[in-house]
Amino acid sequence: MLELRLVQGSLLKKVIESIKDLVTDANFDCSATGFSLQAMDSSHVALVALLLRAEGFEHYRCDRNISMGMNLTNMSKMLKCSGNDDIITIKADDGSDTVTFMFESPNQDKIADFEMKLMDIDSEHLGIPEAEYHAIVRMPSAEFARICKDLSSIGDTVVISVTKEGVKFSTRGDIGAANIVCRQNTTVDKPEEATVIEMNEPVNLTFALRYMNSFTKATPLSNTVTLSLSSELPVVVEYKIAEMGYIRFYLAPKIEEDENE
Amino acid sequence: MSEIQTLEILEELSSLVSDRLQVVSYKWLSRNFLVSSNIAKKLLQEFVEKTKDDLEVVYTVAGWLKKAPPTFHIRLVPQPKLEEAKHDFDGNCSVQVYSVQSCIPKDPAAIWNAEYIQAEELSKQPISVDNCLRDNRFCGVSNSLVKRNAEGAPAAITVPQTKGVGIPGQAVGSSVNQIGSSLQPQPKKLEQASPKIALQSSNVTTPKIESDRSGTCDIQNKELDKDKTSLSIKKKGQSDKSSAGTKTSLANLWGRASSKSKSTNSSVEEKCHASKPNGVLDSADAQISARENLEAASSDDESGVNFKRASNDGGKKRRVVLDDSDEEDFETAVNLGSPNVPSTKSSQDPKQKSRTSDKEKSILNFDKQDECKPVVKEETEVDDASHYAKEEFSALYMGKNVRNAISERVHGKSPDIDVSSKNKVPEAAPCSPKRRKVLKTHIDERGREVTEVVWEGEEVGMKETTASKNNADSVNNSIGHTGKAEENGPANPVNRATTIKKSPAVGSTEPSHTTGKAGSKKGANAKDPKQGNILSFFKRK
Repeated sequence: MLELRLVQGSLLKKVIESIKDLVTDANFDCSATGFSLQAMDSSHVALVALLLRAEGFEHYRCDRNISMGMNLTNMSKMLKCSGNDDIITIKADDGSDTVTFMFESPNQDKIADFEMKLMDIDSEHLGIPEAEYHAIVRMPSAEFARICKDLSSIGDTVVISVTKEGVKFSTRGDIGAANIVCRQNTTVDKPEEATVIEMNEPVNLTFALRYMNSFTKATPLSNTVTLSLSSELPVVVEYKIAEMGYIRFYLAPKIEEDENE
Repeated sequence: MSEIQTLEILEELSSLVSDRLQVVSYKWLSRNFLVSSNIAKKLLQEFVEKTKDDLEVVYTVAGWLKKAPPTFHIRLVPQPKLEEAKHDFDGNCSVQVYSVQSCIPKDPAAIWNAEYIQAEELSKQPISVDNCLRDNRFCGVSNSLVKRNAEGAPAAITVPQTKGVGIPGQAVGSSVNQIGSSLQPQPKKLEQASPKIALQSSNVTTPKIESDRSGTCDIQNKELDKDKTSLSIKKKGQSDKSSAGTKTSLANLWGRASSKSKSTNSSVEEKCHASKPNGVLDSADAQISARENLEAASSDDESGVNFKRASNDGGKKRRVVLDDSDEEDFETAVNLGSPNVPSTKSSQDPKQKSRTSDKEKSILNFDKQDECKPVVKEETEVDDASHYAKEEFSALYMGKNVRNAISERVHGKSPDIDVSSKNKVPEAAPCSPKRRKVLKTHIDERGREVTEVVWEGEEVGMKETTASKNNADSVNNSIGHTGKAEENGPANPVNRATTIKKSPAVGSTEPSHTTGKAGSKKGANAKDPKQGNILSFFKRK
C-alpha cells in the first residue's frame, strides 16, 4: 500500500515537466524514506536523479519498497489535469499494475481520480559515488537558463570554464562565437540572486547544449542552480526542491576539451 | 581452402546468422570471403550440417520439371518443403544450399537484401579497384570469350552500335526464350553476345537465380514470371513509341538550370540529339512500367495507379501543376515536347505516352547513329542509348544485377545509370512490390533538398521520373554517383550543375547513398563520437 499526499501538487507537475523530455519511461522508487527516481536518457549521456523526501509530503505511507514504472509523457498528461493549487495524492496497491493520482481542489469541492497503467521497465540503477568537485558554482537558475538558451542559438556545445575570476560559458558556431562570463557576486540583497563560486582547481569542460537546455526545464523548481564540475566527472546540475529534496542532472562531458568545438 | 580458414568462416557465419540475423546466401558468402561460389555453397552445406537445428535453410533445387514440355527449372525452396519440391522435378535434380538464416523472412525480398547491398557496394567502388564482381572470379559460369573491362576501354563503343540495330529483334528473341523455357536460355544468349553484353554474362548466374528466385520464393509466382515476359513483349511496342518529348518536359521539371540552358543554346539539332537516345531510353521505361503493371496485377493497392497508367497509353495529355512563375513556359514546353509530363510527386507513370511508332523511333535512332559517328561525343551518346536499350531487355530479367555489369562498364554515362536505377524497380517488383523503407533525398522543383523516408516499392514512380529525368537532361552527362564523375564527358557547365543537383536524387534510389543534410545532422547529434557516456562514469549497481 502506497499513499503519498503532496499539498503542493504543482511541484510534482513541475518535476515531471522538467524530466519528461529527457527520459520517456522511468521507474519511480518508493521507500520509507522517500520517493525517488533515477533514469538515463536514451543515449546514455545524461542521467537524472530525483529525490522527494518523505518529510516533504503531508502524508507519506509506503508499506514496502515499491518500484513503479511509468511513462512520463502519460504521467504528465494526467498531471496536467490537476489544478495548480490542487493537492495531489499518489496511491498504489501492492501488486497492482496501476497507480492512481487523486487531485483535490484546495477547498475540497472537487476530487478527481486518474488511474494510470504502470509498465515494466528494465532500468539499471547506477551507483553515483560521492565526489569532491573541483568547482562548484551556484547561480540564479533563471540566469543559467538564459545563458544556455542564448548560447544554443550560436553553437551546439558549451565550454564551461571556472577560474578564480568567475565562470565562463563559451560557444562557437557557424555564425560566430559567444562568451558569457559570470563573476562571483555575493553582495546582493537576496541570497538567491548571488553567484557563488567555490573553486579548488580551475576546470574547463565541454558539454552538449542540447542537454543543458533540457535541464533548465527544471528552473521553475528552484531559484538557484548549482553546477558541480570536475575535470574527469560528469557535471552535476542540481535544482533544490524546497524542503523536499532535489533534482540532479548528470551530464557526461564531451571527451575532447576543444575550444574550437 | 585450408581447414583453419573454413573454421573461421563457419564461426563468422554462425555469428552472422544467429546474432546479426542476416540472411547469408552463397553469393554473399562468396563475395564477402572471396571464395569461389562452389566453395561457398559447400561451406554453407557444412554449416547447415553443423547447426541444423537453429536455422532455416533455403535450397536451390534445379532440374527438369516433370510436366510437359520439360522445362529446366531452378527453384528456391525452404527446407520443410524440400522433399515436396523434389517431386516436381523429373529424375535427378540438384539440391544446393542457397542461403541460411535464422528464420525464413516473410518478405522473400529479404533473402537477397544482404547480397544486394553488397553488390551495390562492390559496384560502387572506383573502377580502378578490381573487386570480385568486376572480374567475376567467383562466378560459376565462365566464358573464355568474355572479358571484363574495368578500365573503360573505348573499343567497346563500336559494339553497341552494331548491336543497336538488332535491338528489337534481339529483345523479342530473348523474351521469347524466356517464355519458352525458364531461365536456362539466358546465359546462352549472353554468352553469344558481343563483349559488351558479355560483360553482363559474367553476372548471369546471379540474375538467373535472381529472377528465378522471384519465381520460386513464392512458388506460384512462376506463372507470374511467364506472364511478365509476355507482358513485356506486348509492352515493348508501346515502350519504343514513347516520344522525345519526355526529355524536354523532364528537363523542365527538373530544375530551372537545365531548362534555361536549353533555351539559351537550344537548337533544333540539339533537340533531335536529345530525342533519339531518348526514344530508346524510353523503351526501358516502358518495360519497367510493364513490370509495374504486372506488379500491379499482383498487388491490389497499386492496381489503381497502374490502371490509370495503362489508360494513359492512349496519349492523353498530362499536366504538371507547378506553383511557380514559369508555369506557362513549362506547359508550352511540355506540349511541344510530348503529351506526357511526369510529375515528381505523383507516382504515376510518365512514360507510356506514344507518339511515334516504335519503328520510326528505331529508324531515327539508327540514322542518327550514322550521323553522329564522326563526333565522338555524340557517338557515345547514341552508343549509350542503343546500349541502354539493349541492356534493358536483359535487365528486365536480370533485375538488379545488371547494375553491376553496368557500373563495371566503362561508359558510366547517364543512360546506364538510369538503367541501374530503373533496374531497381523490376528488382524490387517481382518479389515484393513495396517493402523497403528507404531514405530518399531529392531536389524539389524549387531547388530545395527534400529528404523523406519512403517505402521503396511505392516510390517506383518517382524513381522512374528521376531516372528519365537523367535521360532527358543530359545524355552524355555522366552521373557521378557510381564514383565515375571523373569520366564525365565534355559536360558543359550547365550540365555539370544539373549533375550536382541530380546526384542526390539519383543517389536517393540507393539506400546507402542517402545522407540528407537533415539526416546527417541528426545522426551527428545522436552519436557524437566525442560525447562521453554517463555509464563510463557511474557503475551499475
